[in-house]
Amino acid sequence: MAGTAAGGSRQNPYAPYLLVAPGVLWLTAFYLVPILALARVSVNVTDAAWYDGYTRAFSSYGMHLVRSFGYALMSTVIGVLLGYPLAYVMAFRAGRLKNLLLGLVILPFFTTFLVRTFAWKTILNDQGIVVHVLGSLHLLPGYGRLLNTPYAVIGGLTYNFLPFMILPIYVSLEKIDRRLVEAAQDLYCNSLQAFRKVVLPLSLPGVFAGGLLTFIPASGDFINAELLGGPNQRMIGSVIQGQFLQIRDYPMAAALSFVLMTIITLLVLAYTRALGTEDLA
Amino acid sequence: MAFGGGLLGGCRPEEPDHESSAGSGNDNVLRISNWPLYIDAATVSDFERATGISVQYTEDINDNNEFFAKIDEPLKRGQSIDRDIIILTDWMAGRLIQLGYVQPIDDANFPNKKNLLDRLRQVGFDPGRRYSVPWLSVMTGLGYNPRKTGRELTSANDIFDPKFAGQVTMLTEMRDSLGVVMVGMGIDPEQCTIDDARAACAKIKRYRESGHIRAFTGNDYTEDLAAGNISVAVAWSGDIQGLSADNPDLRWVAPSEGAMIFSDNMLIPRTSRHADLASKWMNYVYDPAHSARIVAAVAYPSAVKGAGEELAKLSPELARSPLANPTPEQVAKLRGFKWLDEHEDREFNRLFLDAMGG
Repeated sequence: MAGTAAGGSRQNPYAPYLLVAPGVLWLTAFYLVPILALARVSVNVTDAAWYDGYTRAFSSYGMHLVRSFGYALMSTVIGVLLGYPLAYVMAFRAGRLKNLLLGLVILPFFTTFLVRTFAWKTILNDQGIVVHVLGSLHLLPGYGRLLNTPYAVIGGLTYNFLPFMILPIYVSLEKIDRRLVEAAQDLYCNSLQAFRKVVLPLSLPGVFAGGLLTFIPASGDFINAELLGGPNQRMIGSVIQGQFLQIRDYPMAAALSFVLMTIITLLVLAYTRALGTEDLA
Repeated sequence: MAFGGGLLGGCRPEEPDHESSAGSGNDNVLRISNWPLYIDAATVSDFERATGISVQYTEDINDNNEFFAKIDEPLKRGQSIDRDIIILTDWMAGRLIQLGYVQPIDDANFPNKKNLLDRLRQVGFDPGRRYSVPWLSVMTGLGYNPRKTGRELTSANDIFDPKFAGQVTMLTEMRDSLGVVMVGMGIDPEQCTIDDARAACAKIKRYRESGHIRAFTGNDYTEDLAAGNISVAVAWSGDIQGLSADNPDLRWVAPSEGAMIFSDNMLIPRTSRHADLASKWMNYVYDPAHSARIVAAVAYPSAVKGAGEELAKLSPELARSPLANPTPEQVAKLRGFKWLDEHEDREFNRLFLDAMGG
């Protein structure tokens, strides 16, 4: 950053520090300090070893962790499959409709997350039209319903986080230089090959960012599991909430939060390695 | 680490902050927090007109545990929670009294306290009712739709009838669900042990894992019951009465083995500066005629002597209903839940949370 400022006026050497100071202060006060407090709570076990919360996190709630990451992964994959084609159309084919489509993608944010998820309870109601139509087509899962099943939870997660998938993919597709596609076609690529060799690799940073923005909040989410799932679909977020508010076992709840954060961090690191994207969109 | 200290439990309550409580004492506002749909439309304004006290009435209590998590820290430190009356269920009222979070009721302003029903005068968590008086009582039994069940329900064990697999909900409130299940197993919830809780929770867990129990809910089971998503729910009496206006099919029954009964109690937080206004409010709602008006709207049994007779004048039909005005014989069959100390409470909750799926 400093290197680009060659010549011209002299610069204050402290400027970069002054510029980052507000952000650093904010994060220290509202992220670092609470995290440290939480860490202290997680080992403040009175009737067992200090790491008791951590061992119980895996022994008692391993299944909830697996389930949470499984549901989050499913909704991320479905999100890519649904979101990519839409983002592609918006970026390349929509013409004058582009802004309208963008507006429609953002529109759900005008209502809160909670209310929209409640609306799904009505839509997926046993007596509702969706269940009736699927039932008469014999497409209903074995439960004979949608509400309080994994299908509803994964569907809810996908729905709620889909805009976070579409928007980054759209941005990375939008900034691709069209002449690259033309060049590929001049070199005898058909349009499928041009997509595979040029458009897709260039849009990967968007897919990468969209994947993170979907997967991370989805794995910690509990609203969808609480409202749309049944007791056998509870996710780790519900467990943490129950430990904090119902049992008031703060060390356990804090340890679970740390386990969740650590696993997410490891998964994200592995994912970054695998996709190898240095320049995020 | 000033942020961290407060989260760590185990410290004794600090003395209330007298400096701030000594401040502006002449504002004439009484702040009440209650559960949703737990009062009629006129009582607050009638009280304001009768006494000249203005009332800020908020329906912001949805769950005993969650509300406790909200007020625990400030009350421990002796800070104001901006409320002069809060209304919590017996066991939670007992916890607040034990922790020293509430102040004694000023009986001088509360002559109508004599109207408290005899059976509610002596309670284990508050001997002599120094700190708490019931707002209303709540019975927990079975709510169902005979059109979906195809028969009338009579026993607490009817919730486990294989015919209703996947169409049953229970309450997330431990004492309500566990109590009803225990009663069906022949266990008296008033005398139950940790082993009884273990057995009852194992049963609940088995039926949850098999998919028989579809969900554990708060008040929202009412939507599922009205929509026909479920056939049977462990249900609160007044809820079903409230729903029956739009869904005349729905029924509530006290199981033949006995239903559960609890009261929600008015308490004055120790940091409230308006204990005098609070006891005037209590006095007002302990007038039988005033209490009957609330019961007529919400259909939960009153704790006030003579409210039944007053209710008969307002709504003879409701006064005959065992939901709003149970007879002494019906009351005799109702069960409470054993008083659990902090350790037992945590163990019971841990078992129950595991039974509910974590």
